[in-house]
Amino acid sequence: MRILTVLCVLLMVLSVGCGSPSKDARVNARRGVGSDSLANNVITRPIRDAFEGLIGAGIVIDDAVVNRNNSSNFLQVFVSGHNKSSKTKRFRYRVEWLDADGMVIETKASVWQRMSAMGKSPFQIKCVAPRAEAVNFRMDTRKWE
Amino acid sequence: MKSRTILFVALFSIVAGGCGGGGTTNIDIRNDDGKAVMALDYRDFDQAASEMVQSMISSGALKKQGGGRYVVATGRIVNDTMQRIDTDQLMAKIEEELMNSGQVVMTSAVGSGTDALVHETRELRDSEEFDQNTIAKRGTLIAPELSISGKIFQRNLRYDKNKQQVEYYFQLKLSDATSGLRYWQKESLIGKRGSNSSVAW
Repeated sequence: MRILTVLCVLLMVLSVGCGSPSKDARVNARRGVGSDSLANNVITRPIRDAFEGLIGAGIVIDDAVVNRNNSSNFLQVFVSGHNKSSKTKRFRYRVEWLDADGMVIETKASVWQRMSAMGKSPFQIKCVAPRAEAVNFRMDTRKWE
Repeated sequence: MKSRTILFVALFSIVAGGCGGGGTTNIDIRNDDGKAVMALDYRDFDQAASEMVQSMISSGALKKQGGGRYVVATGRIVNDTMQRIDTDQLMAKIEEELMNSGQVVMTSAVGSGTDALVHETRELRDSEEFDQNTIAKRGTLIAPELSISGKIFQRNLRYDKNKQQVEYYFQLKLSDATSGLRYWQKESLIGKRGSNSSVAW
C-alpha cells in the first residue's frame, strides 16, 4: 500500500513537471521536437500516459469572457481552456444565446462545431451572437464521434 | 393441405421480409450522433453556414454607417463539386440568419433569389383586368447595395492504398454593388478521410 502511495505521488510530481522544454511559456516545443528531460523522457512518458488514462485527463475550461464586438456591437464570447491530456482532444461544442429573459434564441448558428486541442496545450473558442438581443450564453460540449 | 401450408409460410415470409429492412428512424437533427459520410450532409452545411454568418457579422461589414439596413442580393453560388447540390441549401441558412440579425434586408428583385412574381406583376401595367393603382409604379424597386457570391468545390485525393481524402471548400464573398469593392470573404474547409469504396458524389 505504501509503495502504491509513493508511486502515485511520484507520478503526480512527474506529470506536473511534464511541460514544454521551452523557457518561454508562449513557445511550446513538443515531444519529438524539444529535448527530453528527467521528467519527460522515453521511460516516464508511457507511465504518465497510463496515469492520465487512469485519471481520465481531458480539457479544462479556464475562463469565459463576454463582451461586445467592436465592429458589429453584437455579443461575443471567448472561452479559453487547456488540454490536460498528452493526447489531442477532439470535441464538439455548441453555443446557445440567451435573451434578457434567459430564453434561448433560436438560431441556425447554434450548431455543433468541431474543435481540437493538442495535448498539454491551451485553446480558445470565439463565438459571435447572430442577434442583437443576445445578452448571455451557454455552451455545451460532447465527444467528436 | 401440405401445399397450402407451404404457400402460406412462403407468403408470410415475403410479407415479413418486406416489413423489416432494419427499420426507419428519424434523425435527431439537433444532436445527431450519426457517423460522418464522405459526401456533404446537412451537418456540413450547418457548420459552414454557422461559420460564415459569425464571421460576416463579427467583421462589421454589415453594419451600415448612420444606421439602417443594407439591401443585399444573393449572386451566383457555383457548385463545382461532384455532387448535385442545390446551393440554396447553404444560402438559405445564411440569408435567414443575416435577415434575423437585423442588419440586412435581402432583395427578391434581382440575383439568384429572384421572385419571378416581382417582375410578372409589373407586366400587368397595361392590363384592363387589374386595378392599376394596385400595381407597382415604375422606379419602385430597390437596387441591392451589397451582393453575396461564392463557390463550393471539391478535391479528391488518394490518401493511401485503401483510403481517400475529400476536401470540400466553401468560399463566400461580400461585395459593394456600387463600387465593386469586396468588404468580406471567407473560406471554410471540411475535410473527410475514408474508405476508397465510399463514394463522395
